Amino acid sequence: MKSQLSVVGHRARRVDGVKLATGRGTFTDDIHIRGLLHAKLLKSPHAHARIISIDTSEAEALPGVRAVITHENVPRIPYTSAGQSWPEPSPYDMYVLDRKVRFIGDAVAAVAAETPEIAERATQLIRVEYEPLPAVLDFHDAMNDGAPLIHDETESYGIYDPAHNVAAHIDVEHGDVARGLAEADIVVENEFFVQYQQHTCLEPHVTIALFDEDRRLVLRTSTQIPYHCRRMIAFALEIPVKDVHVIKPRVGGGFGNKQEVVTEPISAVLAMRTGRPVKLEYTRLEEFTIARNRHPQHIRLSTGIRRDGTILANSLNVLTNTGPYGTHALTVTGNTGTKPLPLYRSPNVKFYADIVYTNLPIAGAFRGYGAPQGFFAMEVQMDEVAEAAGMDPLEFRKLNHIRQGDTDLMSAAAGEGAGKKARVIHSSGLPECIERGAAAIGWHEKRGKPGDGPIKRGVGMAILMQGSGVAGDELAAATIRMNEDASFNLHVGSADIGTGSDTTLCQIAAEVLGVSIEDIVIRSGNTDDITFDYGAYASSTAYITGTCVLKAAEDARNQIVNQAARMLQEDPEGLLVHEGAVRSLSGKSVTLQEIALECLYGEDKTVVIGKGTHATKESPPPFVAMFVEVEVDTETGQVRPVEVVSAVDVGKALNPDICEGQVEGAVAQGLGYALTEEIQVGPDGQVLNPSFMDYKIFCAADMPRLTTILVEAEEPTGPFGAKSVAEIAINGPAPAVSNAIYDAVGIRLHSLPMTAEKVLAALEEKQQS
Amino acid sequence: MKPAPFVYRDPATVAEALEALAEYGDEGKILAGGQSLVPLLNMRLAQPQALIDLNRIADLQYVEERSHNGAAGLAFGAMTRQTAVEEHAEPIPLLHEAISWVGHPQIRNRGTIGGSIAHADPAAELPLVFLTLNGAATMQSRSGERVVPAEEFFLFTCTPDVEPDEIVTDVWLPLPLPRTGQAFLEVARRHGDFALVAAAVSLTLDPNGMIADARIALGGTAPTPMRAVRAEASLKGLAPGEDAFDEAAHQAADATEPTGDIHADAEYRRDVAAALVHRALQTAHERVGVAA
Repeated sequence: MKSQLSVVGHRARRVDGVKLATGRGTFTDDIHIRGLLHAKLLKSPHAHARIISIDTSEAEALPGVRAVITHENVPRIPYTSAGQSWPEPSPYDMYVLDRKVRFIGDAVAAVAAETPEIAERATQLIRVEYEPLPAVLDFHDAMNDGAPLIHDETESYGIYDPAHNVAAHIDVEHGDVARGLAEADIVVENEFFVQYQQHTCLEPHVTIALFDEDRRLVLRTSTQIPYHCRRMIAFALEIPVKDVHVIKPRVGGGFGNKQEVVTEPISAVLAMRTGRPVKLEYTRLEEFTIARNRHPQHIRLSTGIRRDGTILANSLNVLTNTGPYGTHALTVTGNTGTKPLPLYRSPNVKFYADIVYTNLPIAGAFRGYGAPQGFFAMEVQMDEVAEAAGMDPLEFRKLNHIRQGDTDLMSAAAGEGAGKKARVIHSSGLPECIERGAAAIGWHEKRGKPGDGPIKRGVGMAILMQGSGVAGDELAAATIRMNEDASFNLHVGSADIGTGSDTTLCQIAAEVLGVSIEDIVIRSGNTDDITFDYGAYASSTAYITGTCVLKAAEDARNQIVNQAARMLQEDPEGLLVHEGAVRSLSGKSVTLQEIALECLYGEDKTVVIGKGTHATKESPPPFVAMFVEVEVDTETGQVRPVEVVSAVDVGKALNPDICEGQVEGAVAQGLGYALTEEIQVGPDGQVLNPSFMDYKIFCAADMPRLTTILVEAEEPTGPFGAKSVAEIAINGPAPAVSNAIYDAVGIRLHSLPMTAEKVLAALEEKQQS
Repeated sequence: MKPAPFVYRDPATVAEALEALAEYGDEGKILAGGQSLVPLLNMRLAQPQALIDLNRIADLQYVEERSHNGAAGLAFGAMTRQTAVEEHAEPIPLLHEAISWVGHPQIRNRGTIGGSIAHADPAAELPLVFLTLNGAATMQSRSGERVVPAEEFFLFTCTPDVEPDEIVTDVWLPLPLPRTGQAFLEVARRHGDFALVAAAVSLTLDPNGMIADARIALGGTAPTPMRAVRAEASLKGLAPGEDAFDEAAHQAADATEPTGDIHADAEYRRDVAAALVHRALQTAHERVGVAA
């Protein structure tokens, strides 16, 4: 079958493409509901303060206001907003509304009113008396003796060490790193700093909450995690899971920011309080100030090598700023170590991390999930280690990188996979990625040739690995039903958040059932369907849900074949489903439509319903070799990426267009992380650049030439040999650009973003020394 | 992100516009291309009582050859879109080069030359060109017409010499003299962003190849677009070349009074000012031959 794929592996047009391109896709905000109320938040002006009193009487008296909620009249149940499997490995340190505010913008109260304007005006009429508290505004100070305690409340739990503002902690070691470093011929030590990055989803967080005629809570919400959301809201509001119905409409980007419950709790409470539908939609300002961001980190790396270039010891030390809440605190930083460390074979490996609270913006899940931070440090470090060994960075990587058949010990030691079985690398196209990527950029021709004049050129590289879902912590269920016209309804629990996963899943079903993609009608992310799914995160959908759909479709196909066998009076063993019909070796055939009608209305009435559930201990890594060519203006410090080559081992490109789109999008977001993007925070904890005017993402005019090479090293555990593709490439631009800058002008940049100002300062420093 | 309520007027002639403006005085605001004003309205940083929209006044959209004080030049109706200016800018190389730095094509399709100059943003490209070349702006009011040279036009940040009852109706820019080379350079966070620093140079040589006149101006480094007068003077009579340009670049940078913000600190802007002026002088010099 795999040799003659007719749908999978093709550049099938997206099933939601036309409606999205013509503006007919229905996003949460497009849903019109009679009697809808609008919610607005009153937000804290203080980075850290206790609320002494709140007077809502004036706000409540404003005509058009239907409810005002504060910590005084909402349930106070500690929860985490991190959308992870139960029990979430993030501390339960959040409340719908609390007596304390822990960063500028923390919600103090919420209003539901007939119009957004009235709701906004009402928030301004709420009188709050605060007792300002000393704040932690530099994450290096968080663990100091006497530092202000951010979670001094007794109800929160799951915090590693609340008395020192430590949300989570990691300390693992294989072998003996101290000895490895002592025995090494060369030791390289470096420090790296990475910043807050904002997801900048096209669509902000938005939820419409209502109670339906059966008094069940219906949440139409822009989410990556419909099923986790259902469970978490039921928990946080103390209502049964059966009474929560989550519906995911079209979603305009998530990137991890929606692997959280954010606008759901308050809109649900307001719907409960008013008996009316309530919409809470963040403004762009709120996205930039009170949603989630990539975790800032201070990273230290020590690497010891033998003179021949082989690595003896690798030690990674991370201090992470999670902001006021520990959502994804342990697991994001876990991936800072567990993704980059195993990429290099080393007998001695150590990973130590503290994830600390501050009174700064909230960090959370963000595409790459800790790996972009780790790979920036690791891949710049490896370049410097290669140089110390007198080796070409490409040759050094070839000598040391993980190989097919190797065991990734780190995967079992820290982060989300903690305590689970170590993963074995069943497939790796990394060597091919390196060769083809190097050829495409012209590595050997261009290295070490900066050119004349004030504008220099350089090339740099990075190699990367990620996972396909969370190892041992994924589950999906799908159902598929045949209709009269031999079409199929496919129900999946996963969430297409703009990634194209609905299309990929339809391709898998169509391939197995011998029909075209147009014959599959998909519905995803509705918790009242007979489906289940952990959600769209950890690059899991194609690999996990894809396998689940494969199983459901095979189940349906078996039923179809059995029915056909009865109709054809043939042995089912010899029957093939192909191009809308079932054929026997003897040349007899029956169309799927005839089978469908016979099933539904014939002698032996039955409905073909295939089901599949899938869980696995595996999380095969995709691999990338990324190469970047840059121009560096030595007089202005400006860095212009000229070309990015991404050679990506995806196992099998289920839809090459979608794979390339994922890689290109990740490169754009990764270039922003490398060069321009940073949530800047003032000394008082206030975000200074909360708009697209001042927060600089990479736009079309800023993009370099992109070359994406899809490498297919078949993964035996994946559907049609596929591994993931969604996140991995975002890890590459920062280190590859930094390494390319070094090739161009001989400066090492260890701090993101690499602004022109930093480049010029480093050039001046180099000139002086 | 919606503006506060305002009265909207869309006169069809300059005379009608002036009547409407007189009615609201200080509380009236002129709407040209809206590329700066509309965001300010939406963010409620500006809350005028009335908007007087000039977009219906067809008479304010033109490009024509015109002499001013004996110098040949091009005159632009204030409502001429930047895209139209771009299409006619070739005779003035500095303008031609600078205008591609104004935002993006979509912005230039709406933005106007008069609007940009009257907004007087210290980091904007067109005010800088206007100052470098010492153009002239014509203002009309109910009491008549007033022409102000560019060197006297910019008073302070976003504050031009335009009275509350006046409308900028015409912008004039001179054509380059013989043996002139011009160059425009800019450093911004991204393409289309406001300049962190922009440098504009117009260099004219005498028949012996010595520098007869140099005009150097910088954007983003002071409350208004600024001319580097000492740097200009330092070049006069010298042979064009590295030494002269280096000295002038440092003089120009020394004259700047940049302030730091979240996008770059003051020291960076000063360093870049020197680099850009130097490079712009070199480029302008190379172009003298091409133009002659």
